[in-house]
Order: sequence, then C-alpha cells, then structure tokens
Amino acid sequence: MIRYLRMFRAFASTEFQFEMEYRGNFYLGILEMFLVIGTSIAAVLVMFGHTTTMNGWTLPQMIVLLGVYYLIQGGVSLVFAPSFERLMEHVRAGTLDFHLLKPVNVQFLVSTRHLKIVRLADLVLGLIVVIVGLFQVGEQIGGGQALLFSASIFFGWMLVYSLILSLVTLAFWFVRVENLLAIFWAFTEAGRFPVDVYPLWLRVSLSTIVPIGIAVTAPANVIAGRMDWIGVVLLGAGTVLAVGIASALWRWGLRSYTGASA
Amino acid sequence: MIRIYRQLLVAQIQAAAQYRIQAVLWMLFSIIRPVIFLAAWTAVSNAQGGSIGTYTTSDFAAYYIALTIVGHLTTAWNSFEFEFEIRQGRLSPKLLRPLHPLHYAVVENLIWKATTFVPLLVVCALVAASFHVEWHGEWWHLALFVPSIVLAAALAFMIAWVIATATFWLQRINTVNTLFQRVGFMFAGQIAPLALVPTWMQIVSYSLPFAYFLAIPAEILRGGVTLERGLLYLVGQAVWLALMIVAFRFAWRAGLREFSAVGA
Repeated sequence: MIRYLRMFRAFASTEFQFEMEYRGNFYLGILEMFLVIGTSIAAVLVMFGHTTTMNGWTLPQMIVLLGVYYLIQGGVSLVFAPSFERLMEHVRAGTLDFHLLKPVNVQFLVSTRHLKIVRLADLVLGLIVVIVGLFQVGEQIGGGQALLFSASIFFGWMLVYSLILSLVTLAFWFVRVENLLAIFWAFTEAGRFPVDVYPLWLRVSLSTIVPIGIAVTAPANVIAGRMDWIGVVLLGAGTVLAVGIASALWRWGLRSYTGASA
Repeated sequence: MIRIYRQLLVAQIQAAAQYRIQAVLWMLFSIIRPVIFLAAWTAVSNAQGGSIGTYTTSDFAAYYIALTIVGHLTTAWNSFEFEFEIRQGRLSPKLLRPLHPLHYAVVENLIWKATTFVPLLVVCALVAASFHVEWHGEWWHLALFVPSIVLAAALAFMIAWVIATATFWLQRINTVNTLFQRVGFMFAGQIAPLALVPTWMQIVSYSLPFAYFLAIPAEILRGGVTLERGLLYLVGQAVWLALMIVAFRFAWRAGLREFSAVGA
C-alpha cells in the first residue's frame, strides 16, 4: 500500500514538472476554470431569481451541489481521464506491453499513471464553492456529517471510475472507443442539477448507466440532511460492487489484448 | 462556383459516409445541455405553480426543443479544428489551392447537419413527448424561421472563423474558445429564455452577437415573437453577419501575413 502511494507521488511530481514547462498554459487553464464555475453559478442564480426552491432544493443547497459537481469532475479529470486517454492509445498502438512487463498491479498503473495537474484547480474551486454554500445553508455541520460527506465524495469518484474503466476496457475488443467516452463526458454535464429534477427515463440512465447522478447528488444530499449514514453505507456497498465488476471486466478484457506484433 | 461546390459535395459525402455512427454520436452533444436546462426549468416552473412570467411549463419545453434544433443547425467547430490544422501543417497545402479554405469548411459543415438532422428530429420528438410540448405558433413563424436559421447558421459559422484566425497570433486558442463558449452560455439564451434573465443580462445579450444565432431563432421557431419584432430580429442577424464577414476578411488578411507555416 505504502509502495503504491509512493509510486503515485512519483507520477504526480513528474507530471507536475511536465505541466510547468508550459506555465502560461497552466495559468490560462486556471483562468478558464474560474470562467466556467463563475458562469455556472450565475446560471443557478438566474433560476433562483424566479423561485426559492427547485424540487425541494434551496439555493444554498444547489450551490453545495454545484461545488460537489466540480469536485467529482475535477477528481476524475485530474487522474483517471488523462491516464485512460493514454491507455486507449497504448491499446491501439500495442505499447501496453511495456506496462504489462512492470512488476506492479497493471490496473493501478494504467488508472493513475498520468495526471493533469491543472485540474487541481477544479478541486480547489469546487471545495470553495461547497464551503460558501455551507455558510449559506446556515446549519452547523458536525464532524460526523463532514466524515459522511468526504466518504460519499470518495465513493462518487470510485463509481465514476468504475464506469470509465469499463468503457475503456471495451477498447480491447473494439479498439476505438474515444467517442463512447466523449458521450460519457457530455452526459456528466447533467450532474450540475440534482438528479431528481430529470424525468424518469433520464433519471434511470443518469443513475445506472452514467452514475454521475448518484455521484453528485449523494454528497449534496448528505449536506442537505437528506441522507444519513445508512444511505452512505449503502452507497459504499454499491461502489465496492461496481469497482469489483469493472475490475473483473478489465481482467477479462486484458486477456483479449494481443500486443504490438501479435 | 456552383460546379465547384457540387464536386466538393460529392467528395465530402463520400468522406462523411465512413463515419456515420460517429456523426450521430456527436449529435448527442447538441441535445444534452438544452434537455438539462429544460428539466431544471420544468422543476422551477412547477414549484411556482406552472408558469414563470409569460412562460408556462410547456412553453419552456417548446423553447428548449427549438433551442436544440437551432443549436444543432448552427454548430460550427472550425475554431477548434483550425488550431490543429495549423499545428499539423495542414493549412499550407490548402492555401496553395485556388479555393479559399472556408469553402471546404462550408461543405463539410452542411453535410454533417444534413446527415444528422433526421436522427436529431427523432430524438427531439421523444423529448418533446416526455415534456408535453405545446406549439403556439402561426404559419408565418415558420416562414420567418427559414431565413432566420440560415442567417443564424452563417453568423455562427463566421464567428467561429473569426475566433479561428486568432490562432495566427496566439498559436493555442483553448482559452479564447472557452471564453467565447462561456460568454455564449451566459448571453445566448441557454440558461433561460432572454425574457426571464435580469435586465442587465438582457441588455448585454441583445448587444452581443450570440443570442442572434441561438435564442432569437429559437424564439421565432417557438412562435414567441410578433411579426414586427421577428422582422427586426432578422435585420439584427443580417447586420451581425455582415460585420463578421468584414471582420473575418480583415483578420484573415492580417493573419496570413503573421503566419509562418509549421515546418517551413
């Protein structure tokens, strides 16, 4: 475990050095994030100019939800998205061989090898938005609730992770899956509103096919006091199951990998 | 010119036919955001007893379905593609040809829209059914919509090209693109119909070009404007289009002087 953490730190520091080669781009990336989050908050404010509640969600709760959305998205696009992007290239070019030869868990390596450090900005800004929302909610958030919140954020990341891993694993059979992934990213946009505002057919697909609905709404629900520890435990159990299925699929897919020259 | 276009059309149809599924998948991008905001406004409207201002819940549905169709027909991706073309050195051979690179893009753009339009309408019909759309337009709204959407598509296309020319000076235009997209998000009528945003946002929206290729044609298609207002909107669209064409000509000429081909 410690070995893997140390490895992850090494990945992060090399990627940080890479990114710092293009410092201007790095700062512009942060600026873009300010723009994106600022305009998203403006959108929510425009809506709440006409109402005080949306399906039982108040404005402060919506702000928390929006922060959670960027936390989840930021975490995924910080580590998993860039790593899997490379993985798809490796599968296509056959260069996954080099990863397979290394004496580590291959799934860990392909899931975490590459980072997009600038996405840390999403995490930081998302967290700030959550905290601002919390102050507006006005109720005291106890230590227990904070713990449940952190746990549900972590489960959210892993839920989305297991879905992307499954999608990327399809590359072993179909080679080109970038478009599938692009569709997934488009769907994640739906996470900016609570999943219960959507009509049933969309809610089902957002919660099961694209678990972004659960991943974002659950932590916000914890803050809103609508989800207790039983809900979080259930969420955890579901997440373990999802990661288990995705990992099994990954191992199965890996057997179909034919390598560079085979 | 017509003969050239006919040849280009044939060639591009053949090229596009190789990526049919991809074309349909990209169509989903046109649908997702409007549906998300439609769902949110439906929730808000229901919380307020079924209407906000002059918009009933089914008016919202009509507006966002219209917005989906307009958004799809005004898609232009050249500001994203152009940077790539320059970096890969693909612009130089295009410049040597007797035809302006713009014309290839026009044909490519039209074909994508033509091939994905029917699947789009099918999806829109499904969404419309699940959100109980009602259309309150007159026949002349549809007649007005035809020139309006043509102007809108041309305007969006020219704006994309004006942004694209920034690559001549900046090399990477990610941030420029994001900036324009987010300003468009705020002021083009995606967040809400323009009548429902705060006054200062309305003023900005009507003075920037973005609403003229999104919210305005959508309002016309929905049947939410009077005839006088609709005609006025058409004039606004035409003025913006003319401005953008002039801006593009200047920017392109000045940009080419800056341009040093990659690998040259």
